[in-house]
Amino acid sequence: MVDPLQASLRIAASGLEAQSTRLRVVAENLANAQSTGPTPGSDPYTRKTVTFANALDRASETNLVKVDDIGLDRSPFRVEYQPGHPAADEKGYVKLPNIDMAVEMADMREANRSYEANLQIIKRTRELLSMTIDLLRNPG
Amino acid sequence: MSQIHLFAVSAQQAQWLSMRQTAISGNIANANTPGYKPVDVEPFERILDNTGLGLETSAASHLHGAGGPRQTARKGEGSWQVSPSGNAVSLEQELIKADEVNRAYALNTGIVKAFHRMLMMSVK
Repeated sequence: MVDPLQASLRIAASGLEAQSTRLRVVAENLANAQSTGPTPGSDPYTRKTVTFANALDRASETNLVKVDDIGLDRSPFRVEYQPGHPAADEKGYVKLPNIDMAVEMADMREANRSYEANLQIIKRTRELLSMTIDLLRNPG
Repeated sequence: MSQIHLFAVSAQQAQWLSMRQTAISGNIANANTPGYKPVDVEPFERILDNTGLGLETSAASHLHGAGGPRQTARKGEGSWQVSPSGNAVSLEQELIKADEVNRAYALNTGIVKAFHRMLMMSVK
């Protein structure tokens, strides 16, 4: 059994890692919001999704969080009529990625909020540790 | 059993509080995990009631008694919200709990400090 405060720091760190992966995926989605396929009629960039899973770390008996899977969003692509576009099919329609800016922004905000909560826990745990160390300090 | 009961109790409470902090950080880390239910440790009063009933061990292979508080005792009771993914962690509620732990820990170390000062005064 590891020290519970050390375990607490480790858990919060796993949360930070998971949320930053989520932010990375949001960044990928936003950057590729207009990425079309290379050839006429081909599929464009597909939106990526992140799922988290609870992972029990056997060595320290703590429930960490890990990124379970980075999957693809199966919702339909947007279609626009742009006959001059290099990726347009024979009828002049271009398939655009299934990315909604508002959804990505909401996801980013939530990732941010969860990241902050994990940071708060690290701060609080550090305070607990320093309060314990303060017991050793000479009261003068 | 320590000679001075107060130190034993405060050490026990510090241990309980740090276990609770671990439970809270587990909940916050899993704030976006689908289907996750928040956990908590059993209340400190129950830990205090259980003391004195542990198993005595005289060899390394002997069974250890219930040492320290058990985590994951209360599964998601009285959670503030349940999201559509089945996750029942409320960040606000968990941060309030973390604050409670912090305050109790400060009180605990403060009492130990004051008591230690008192002892030193009588020794010197």
